[in-house]
Amino acid sequence: MDARRIILTGCGWGAVFGILNCASNVFLLPSAPFISLRPQIALPMVVGITVHPVAGFLVGFVGNIIGDGLSGFGLWKFWNWHLANGLMGFLPGLVRYGGSNRISTVRDFGVLEMSVVLASGASVAFAVLLDVLFLEFMRFPSSFHSWILPAFLTDAVNGFVLVPVLLLPAGRLLITLETRTILLITALLVVAVLSTAGAITWSVWDDLSSPAATIENFYIAGIVSVILLVLGFIAALGFVRKITDPIGELTRAAEAVENGDYDLGHLGHVSARQDELGRLSRVLQGMAGQVRKREEALRSQVQELRIRIDPQRREREVAAIVETDYFQQLKKKAKELRQGMS
Amino acid sequence: MAKIVAVHSFRGGTGKSNTTANLACLLAQKGHRVGIIDTDIQSPGIHVLFSLDPNDCPCALNDYLWGRCEISQTAYEVTPTADPASSGKLFLIPSSIRTGDIARVIHYGYDVNLLKEGCQRLIRELPLDYLFIDTHPGLNEETLLSIAIADMLLIILRPDHQDYQGTAVTVEVGRHLEVPRMSLLLNKVPACFSREALTDQVAHTYGCEVVGVLPHAEEMMTLASSGIFVVRYPDHHVSRELRTVTAMIEA
Ligand SMILES: Nc1ncnc2c1ncn2[C@@H]1O[C@H](COP(=O)(O)OP(=O)(O)OP(=O)(O)O)[C@@H](O)[C@H]1O
Ligand SMILES: [Mg+2]
Repeated sequence: MDARRIILTGCGWGAVFGILNCASNVFLLPSAPFISLRPQIALPMVVGITVHPVAGFLVGFVGNIIGDGLSGFGLWKFWNWHLANGLMGFLPGLVRYGGSNRISTVRDFGVLEMSVVLASGASVAFAVLLDVLFLEFMRFPSSFHSWILPAFLTDAVNGFVLVPVLLLPAGRLLITLETRTILLITALLVVAVLSTAGAITWSVWDDLSSPAATIENFYIAGIVSVILLVLGFIAALGFVRKITDPIGELTRAAEAVENGDYDLGHLGHVSARQDELGRLSRVLQGMAGQVRKREEALRSQVQELRIRIDPQRREREVAAIVETDYFQQLKKKAKELRQGMS
Repeated sequence: MAKIVAVHSFRGGTGKSNTTANLACLLAQKGHRVGIIDTDIQSPGIHVLFSLDPNDCPCALNDYLWGRCEISQTAYEVTPTADPASSGKLFLIPSSIRTGDIARVIHYGYDVNLLKEGCQRLIRELPLDYLFIDTHPGLNEETLLSIAIADMLLIILRPDHQDYQGTAVTVEVGRHLEVPRMSLLLNKVPACFSREALTDQVAHTYGCEVVGVLPHAEEMMTLASSGIFVVRYPDHHVSRELRTVTAMIEA
């Protein structure tokens, strides 16, 4: 892909990201003075995935500079977070880079969501590391609650929910049986977990100034939510793949039959299932066996195919034609006729 | 030099007319000038494939044979998918489908020498690179004549015991008439047959080259002679096989 396009898309979407960052800075997370609720974090991730990892990096990096500048935080003061935002676009893009362009299976979807969550964690950790090494803005352990954790939570959850939502209209997330199922389960999980977390947040909102224990409770709820989300998601992946993997195998088996390969022994574990798919698989195996038997029967007939000609009858029939006057004349003229034709 | 290809089968319904029409079309598409003469006066059929309504044709082969018109008046152009850039042309000389005309031939016959002269003049006047002769099954006089004047005798047979014996007779008669080239084409071959085994057996049994093995095609059946297969299904494997047969005819 040409560098010009990467830079232009990166900086263009970066500007959008920056403006959105500034706008959303009014919605600060409870008890986190620097961290806002920012759904737009999905932007660098999506650009990284759909365009190029470097383009994703530019969106986060350039966007965060613009956002900080517009918000009056100073252009370079939190440079470690510029890099961290860049990484959030870069890492998921890197995971998809070189892989298939479209997400059509549960596996692809799992890799996508994991890459989003892990990229959020890795990027925040990177920013913290740079801070500890060079900047020393953070004070531990209080910064852990007021800065690090909220940054990770908002980015991971927003990315997790919004990246697939944005990839759908971009045509990168195909609606297949697999993705439809996993999307449904993911949506249920997200709604369940976030509504619980939201309810807790709401109930403690007014108490934020009260003893630290309350705030801690709030974050414990947040962490538990994310853990639940991830565990639920991993379970859902396994659950969906249990349904969809055999379908892929059955399709491949049917293709094999189409190509004349009737040995479907490898379907054994699907056939062992007690459900509808198991039944389908057994029927397919039985069918392949029948087709093979029939084809072998036909082939053996071909082997036996002997062209039997009765020579005496042939001589009689040939003689009946050849001995006519017409034929004798024709035979005499045949050579001459042929020469005269063209 | 024009090449005359007589297409024949001992039994009826082997696919003579369909094969002739397809091979002729392929040669025309390759830029050759091709003629097809329907000598199956008793049961003409090939005009159907070209959607040529014999009622729209003032002159048929029968009219020429009875001296009612010139042979050139009986040739109708049926070039498929006219590509103006191509020099290829296809002409059809149909037989009459009027029952009276047919009955007359069966009853009185005609001078088969006229048929020979007609072919000569078609080649010269149209002019033609290839002339296909679609024949009536069996070995009647005009079929024998078409074999006698042909440069190539293409015998069509199905892998069917009904066809084997008659084909042996035809091959023998072709040898008597010293046809320069005699070739076999297997048609309507069921998919389960091994092509190589069949080719070997047939070539070995008759001592002739096998120029093609055409599978039995569902699409050919459903097309039901309402069009030319290679025009309708140019990418079908039967069309591909027919193309290799065409190349062997050109060789
Ligand atoms: N390869 C094939 N696969 C399936 N059907 C075929 C094939 N070749 C020919 N047919 C069908 O067989 C029938 C007879 O074909 P066609 O009229 O060409 O035979 P023919 O030898 O000219 O018959 P006749 O002896 O009556 O003149 C047609 O319905 C045609 O569609
Ligand atoms: Mg015919």
